[in-house]
Amino acid sequence: MADPILSLSSVSKSFGPIEVLHGVDFELRPGEIHALIGENGAGKSTTMKILGGYIDQTAGEVLWQGQPLRFAHSDEAEARGIIMIHQEFNLAEHLGVDQNVFLGRELKRGWRLDHAAMRARTAELLAQLDCPVDPSARVSDISVPSKQMVEIAKALSRDLKVLIMDEPTAVLTERDCEVLFRQVERLRDEGVAVLYTSHKLSEVKRICDRVTVLRDGAMVRSSKVSEITEDEMAEAMVGRELSGLYPAKALPRAEVMLEVENLSVPGMVQGASLKLRRGEVLGIGGLVGSGRTELAEAIAGLRACSGTVRLEGKDLPAAEPHVAMTRGLAYLTEDRKGAGLLLEKTLRENLTLPLLDRFGGLLIDRKAEEAALDKAIADFAIRVPERNMAVGNLSGGNQQKLLLAKTLLSDPQVILIDEPTRGIDIGTKQQIYRLIADLAAEGRAIVVISSEMPELIGLASRVLVMHAGRVVGELAQDEINEGAIVRLAMGLKDSEGEAA
Amino acid sequence: MTKLFIATTALATVLTGAAAAETIGVSIPAATHGWAGALNYHAERTIARLEEAHPDLDFVLATTPDSATQVSDLEDMMATRGIDALVVLPFESEPLTGPIKRIADSGTWVTVVDRGLAQEGIQNLYVAGDNASFGSTAGEYFAENLDEGAKVVVMRGIPSTVDNERVAGFEGAIEGSGIEVVAMDHGNWNRDTAFTLMQDWLSRFPEIDAVWAADDDMAVGALAAIEQAGRIDEMFVVGGAGMKEMVARIAEGDETVPVNVTYPPAMISTAIEMTVLGLTSGAPMTGDFIISSELITQENAEDFYFEDSPY
Amino acid sequence: MAHAETKTRRRGGSIDLKVIGPIVALIVLVLIGVALNPNFLSYANITNVLARSAFIGIIAVGMTFVITAGGLDLSVGSMAAFVAGLAILTMNVLTDVWGVGLPVILVGVALALVAGLIAGLINGLLITRVGIEAFIVTLGTMGIYRSLITWLADGGTLSLGFEMRELYRPVYYGGIAGISWPIIAFAVIAILGEVVMRHTAFGRHCAAIGSNEKVARYSSIAVLKVRLATYVLLGLLVGFAVVMYVPRLGSASASTGLLWELEAIAAVIIGGTLLKGGFGRVWGTVVGVLILSLIGNILNLTDFVSPYLNGAIQGAVIILAVVLQRKTGTDR
Repeated sequence: MADPILSLSSVSKSFGPIEVLHGVDFELRPGEIHALIGENGAGKSTTMKILGGYIDQTAGEVLWQGQPLRFAHSDEAEARGIIMIHQEFNLAEHLGVDQNVFLGRELKRGWRLDHAAMRARTAELLAQLDCPVDPSARVSDISVPSKQMVEIAKALSRDLKVLIMDEPTAVLTERDCEVLFRQVERLRDEGVAVLYTSHKLSEVKRICDRVTVLRDGAMVRSSKVSEITEDEMAEAMVGRELSGLYPAKALPRAEVMLEVENLSVPGMVQGASLKLRRGEVLGIGGLVGSGRTELAEAIAGLRACSGTVRLEGKDLPAAEPHVAMTRGLAYLTEDRKGAGLLLEKTLRENLTLPLLDRFGGLLIDRKAEEAALDKAIADFAIRVPERNMAVGNLSGGNQQKLLLAKTLLSDPQVILIDEPTRGIDIGTKQQIYRLIADLAAEGRAIVVISSEMPELIGLASRVLVMHAGRVVGELAQDEINEGAIVRLAMGLKDSEGEAA
Repeated sequence: MTKLFIATTALATVLTGAAAAETIGVSIPAATHGWAGALNYHAERTIARLEEAHPDLDFVLATTPDSATQVSDLEDMMATRGIDALVVLPFESEPLTGPIKRIADSGTWVTVVDRGLAQEGIQNLYVAGDNASFGSTAGEYFAENLDEGAKVVVMRGIPSTVDNERVAGFEGAIEGSGIEVVAMDHGNWNRDTAFTLMQDWLSRFPEIDAVWAADDDMAVGALAAIEQAGRIDEMFVVGGAGMKEMVARIAEGDETVPVNVTYPPAMISTAIEMTVLGLTSGAPMTGDFIISSELITQENAEDFYFEDSPY
Repeated sequence: MAHAETKTRRRGGSIDLKVIGPIVALIVLVLIGVALNPNFLSYANITNVLARSAFIGIIAVGMTFVITAGGLDLSVGSMAAFVAGLAILTMNVLTDVWGVGLPVILVGVALALVAGLIAGLINGLLITRVGIEAFIVTLGTMGIYRSLITWLADGGTLSLGFEMRELYRPVYYGGIAGISWPIIAFAVIAILGEVVMRHTAFGRHCAAIGSNEKVARYSSIAVLKVRLATYVLLGLLVGFAVVMYVPRLGSASASTGLLWELEAIAAVIIGGTLLKGGFGRVWGTVVGVLILSLIGNILNLTDFVSPYLNGAIQGAVIILAVVLQRKTGTDR
């Protein structure tokens, strides 16, 4: 086995008086994919940032090929070939793909930029990645998975020794994940040391060689992936036994709550129809960009559309989100940070934002707001270090719980949930799944949109699959399986025959 | 000044006899502040009067917000209207010297008003006010009517050559009189700024005997502040440029506003009339005509009051 | 009890300059003023400074809402001049018809308020319905109103008739209990503004929209209506400021309200409102306005610096007041 290229030796890190990392040892070896897993807030990000040279440790040492090292700046880490790909992409949205790949290290001919060479090299890199994006396209115009690929191309364009990837598959569909895995494996085979974080344990099992589990800022387990099962990983992360990730499914009742007929959003959704009953959890599957989100947003009045939406038998006007809300329909966005929460505002201000008119008359009733927040914190088990903190400083899981609390504040009867558990840890996932099942059992009607097959299979009693803006299939209780969903999502053919 | 008035009165009789059809271009700054507004008023009034008195004369009037526009205006006048004479108040000296010189070189009669060109000898006729005498006329009044040791505050305009010349004239005139200028600051020819400035000076100085505001707009602001402080009997205020409200107060014998100093916007009328005369009668009208500032007093106030003027 | 005590103490210990920075700057300015001139704290001077702050202050309160909601309005100075001109012109015409009297003033006041409101509505509609950048729209209307007042005044000055001026005069110079009306008006507007910003849904919605418009939209806030309302409110307050301004000198000209927009924006930012929107505080704006007024006042009360450098001092204080807030932010 090769010697470690980059390692941590009893590294601790404190922010102010709070120590968040307690004496962590960690080794990255060339030619190895090393998974770092743990619940949100376990210290993964901090560990990665120390390795990537973004922050300094408070105690302990960072070793580079066995020698102690202290980065003055993350540029220095990059110069040594340590590249970190952030979850929030580090791309200049208004520049071209090739301009991004070579940002800060532009190729030149004399004093002029050598556009042709940069474009050609970018095209080469993208081809390696099976990515069909035009090198001269603007980054703002390309899809999220493509952006991820551009980030990787950017890393590849350098002399890469250590690649740190922060949940690279969180925004990718299954098919894009496969492309990514192939590339990561190729890099490993070329001798790159890869640090990989993910909440999806199946992925860890699939591509990683070694796994280290963090819990509450300390290393609790590190072993070869072949020697540990997914359940053991989950238990190590949570620190308790996890049984039954998915609760029992509630039985749909007869009453139709939501009826959508022939709904179209120009360029996004074409003639979609669906029926949703009381007590039902309806899953919507499909690739990213298949129109799932746009369909849900159109139903919630957030997008202009044609067609009819009937809520409890009465027509819902288009593009009137306030009306939809007051009539008892709520939509939880997939874009938690961009459309869900005001990151620099407090929990209280976020929680009551859609419903301020119910908190006091002319003046806002601050006490009622505080009481609502107390209730939300208790009901949704939101872990809040400081009540008046900005929401942006909460962990992803707690942000998601707050967003759920905000969405459910209006006591909606029909709830559209878009990616209920994106980027959150398994313990919180379990809580959210329980909550969804409970809401359905209370008689509410729920739509769950998800890219994670197990989630659809585990939660929904019926699944609609979308492809290229159309609802291409419906799977009932016992027909729901990964193969059937994927085939429909890829637009292959009607899966009825095979699924049966 | 008096001489010129006689000249312009004589003008009217001469003009009625002129024969050839002539086009005269008049280019002046747009009415963005009081004095320029009055300038426009007098220009329009004079043109209307001359056109009526003399059907053969054709006038082209262009007002301009900046130097660049004025240059274009002049080019248009030459190219499309074929003017025979130009009366121009240059927005700025430097940028307009070249264009006006080209017009003069083409044989067109050029009268420059108030703001001199950067190069001498271009124009046929130069009619201008006298900023130094604007300051010194006020200064002389102060020197004569204030005792030694009197305390005076001075409100200047927007920092510029015009302002510097006026203040230098004022300072020169009070030199040796023993009058003490306790504060001097820019009121920017603006009523509100002057009001604020005067308020603060009134707080700062327990004794002020007189205020010189280098423009009537500022005098209005200063007077409002003095009135508010209830110190109207302690001091007098001298403004400048003969705003009609001020002239009216002088005529009524207001002790706070005893006199005013002219810087007549009507100089544009003089310039146009003299140009017409030079063009039509062949009378020797070339040279420089500097219109000294005059002291408006209760006795002569009536001569300086124009009911319809916006200023 | 003991618990409450430790809590307050902790809060006291962690006071950050972000919150009190503008107040510190204000206090420092007052101390400088006192040191330089004994008349600084005189009743007359304090009244003068507060009363002259009222126009920009009232406008800046409205501007706080516009900026908090992520907007900007460059037209307020010209708008004030235009509205003032319109009101004066109307009152002069009405004086000829009805004679000198209270009804004329009431119509003038109403006209100023309505004209301001309509002007704000025009800005708001162009921004929210037509979808043009606020900067461009208000830059355009700024030029339009400035030209209109110049045109209305024929390049000169529009003055209220003498008798009307005397009748209207007390609105600026009068008061109750020794406090002049503009000060009272400014205080009332500021308190109302603070309450609206902090304790009403409208204020919260403004901050949400400025913070992240998409989140606001997804929270079923009527983003366009709230945006529009901020411009209408600002227009109305411009009208109100004009109501207080006209009786001061009884006139309006092309140079009325010159640069008020920049002073108002500067006051808002000095007060701690974020220029990019998302957070606003009205009391900060009030402090900002007072800081700007005091700088001018102190410079006039002394020969401390050459008058040519007044602008430089003002600029330096503005930058300093903002730096003071940034540097001590706890997030670095």
